[in-house]
Amino acid sequence: MISVKNLSHSYNKDGKLAVNNISFQVEKGETFGFLGPSGAGKSTTQGILTGLLKLQSGEVEVAGYDVRRVQNKRFNKIGVSFEQSNVYGKLTAKENLEFYAKLFDVETRNPQELIDIVGLNGKENVRAGEFSKGMKHRLTFARSMINNPELWFLDEPTTGLDPAIAATIKDIIREQKAKGTTSFLTTHNMYIADELCDRVAFIIDGEIKLIDTPKNLKLQYGQKLVDVEYLENDKLIKKTFKTIDEADRNKLAEVIKKHDIQTMHSKEATLEEIFIQVTGRGLV
Amino acid sequence: MKLFSTYIKEMKIAFRGFYFYIEVVMAVIILTILLAAVKEDPVSKEKEFLFFDMDTEFVEMYFEEQVEAGTVKYVAPVEFDVKAQEFEITNKETGETESYSYKKDTIMFTTLEMYDEKTGELSKTVYLADTKEDMIRLSYQEKTIGATISLDENWQPNYKYYTQGYETERMQGLLYILHNESVATLKDAADSQTVRKLGETEVLNNRQNLIPAFIVLMGSMMGYFIVIAYVYLDKEEGVIKAFAVTPSAVWKYLLSKALVIMTTVTMSSSAIAIPVMGLQPNYLLFYLLLWISTFAFAALGLFIASFFDNMTKAFGVLFGGMMVMMLPALSYFIPSFDPTWMRYVPTYPLMQGFKEVIMVDGDANYVLTQCGIFLVGGIIIFLLANVRFKKTLTV
Repeated sequence: MISVKNLSHSYNKDGKLAVNNISFQVEKGETFGFLGPSGAGKSTTQGILTGLLKLQSGEVEVAGYDVRRVQNKRFNKIGVSFEQSNVYGKLTAKENLEFYAKLFDVETRNPQELIDIVGLNGKENVRAGEFSKGMKHRLTFARSMINNPELWFLDEPTTGLDPAIAATIKDIIREQKAKGTTSFLTTHNMYIADELCDRVAFIIDGEIKLIDTPKNLKLQYGQKLVDVEYLENDKLIKKTFKTIDEADRNKLAEVIKKHDIQTMHSKEATLEEIFIQVTGRGLV
Repeated sequence: MKLFSTYIKEMKIAFRGFYFYIEVVMAVIILTILLAAVKEDPVSKEKEFLFFDMDTEFVEMYFEEQVEAGTVKYVAPVEFDVKAQEFEITNKETGETESYSYKKDTIMFTTLEMYDEKTGELSKTVYLADTKEDMIRLSYQEKTIGATISLDENWQPNYKYYTQGYETERMQGLLYILHNESVATLKDAADSQTVRKLGETEVLNNRQNLIPAFIVLMGSMMGYFIVIAYVYLDKEEGVIKAFAVTPSAVWKYLLSKALVIMTTVTMSSSAIAIPVMGLQPNYLLFYLLLWISTFAFAALGLFIASFFDNMTKAFGVLFGGMMVMMLPALSYFIPSFDPTWMRYVPTYPLMQGFKEVIMVDGDANYVLTQCGIFLVGGIIIFLLANVRFKKTLTV
């Protein structure tokens, strides 16, 4: 669905590259996470993929279209949810969606239905200018689904939302994935990436450091520990065993055999820990 | 369909916004001024500075008939404070140039008031100088034409005019023909002229005469300003980015902005023109010229907006452009001030075009020519704006 080869981009003529010779592919139906801290090159890459920035160097194909050629009809297949809410403040929520629906050449979704699923029901006739930041964000998110996109660009889809609404947004993304929608998710929130993405790419200083599934990354970079609480002479003991260490594995087996186990949890490294381990940098 | 939807959306936003009401309020203010403060009949403040190079008795004889008829009255002499001056006068016939240098002075002028025969209203104030130099000095200071009148050997009056140098060729030619050509030449010239019937309605009254300038300055110029404001409001809200990721083309976005301006300018201009002009103008030509010129100015506004990130950065160019575009109003209201370069400012022919439109027997060919020029110019600028916006719309 997305094919990027040797993509580079610079905002100045000083030779400093915002994106430096990156390559990756996103398959149809996949949810691909593009992870990195602020200024890493995430937005630049997404800007080029969505046509908001001109392709300077490299080859990029999105939804079957070469982005070097200006073909507006490609946007019939694409939906973009921006990080910064950008809706018409002087139009109501419904008017905003109705207007955008008319700009597409494909069958569009019912604006009221979208308003309902993002939890803005009852606010459809309120001007977006009167909305809170979170409500505007939800309207921007709803608008990105108006054309039933085959390819969905999501830029920080849950930033600034309360946990309940964020959960709703994540559910919607999962539902769309179940329908076969391909998603390109840009975020610095590793927990969301971990929950939603089939594969993730770590980008820092304009370069992709690695691309893999969250599971593989955890297996490869995680410490693979097991936390155990057990009773020994009526006393609660807490111990951590390394599952890759044979001596620890034997000790764990012995504890399980001889003692009454109260709790036992496998402990995996988080994506954030792996990111720091791989890049040597945090995500802020 | 996409263009229509975008236009409808833009109209909704315009009606709910601030700038539309600026136009409405401006139109109401202008209409109120025109109807309440501008008299239809001209109240002349015309001044004339004359020097009669002859005996006083001949001067009195010159005005005798008019004084008896009551159309000329001698009033109290007027004292003028004349500044220190240095200037040159070139004789147009001989090409000789004379330099003049004067100190600050106070000069007394015999003053006459001339009244309109029909209405009895004051039409002109004439100041009679004691010397040619006094006449020249005051004429120079007041920036108006002065004249010396003498008698030739056949006792016929001889006129010598002192112009400011920037008068129109037409006006200078008129003065020249009026007094220097033979009667036979004048007759030949008159026979070769195309004569149009002069009716009461063909002459614009004071109020009507202001309409072309207001339509151009209020309509096209406000449109030029407001279209830029609309683009920057969109940039602030970020909605341009959202538009850029739809299958709709950039030119539709730009044209919808121009169409909104054309709609609101049509409303505001109609609100001014119709109550003042009634059914007199050729409204087909009026709206044709209004729409085309507004489109051209909106395209210019869009083109300028494509170079700057926000209103603050664009303000210098925007304001400078408006100032230049307003300059032709000077020539419009002061016909004797008409430098050649002024004619190249687009609002100059536009004002003349609207004047032709609202006159009963206006020159339709001139108006259509202007429509053609503005249409071609507008389309070219619009295409350039489209190219620029494709590059800069989302950056």
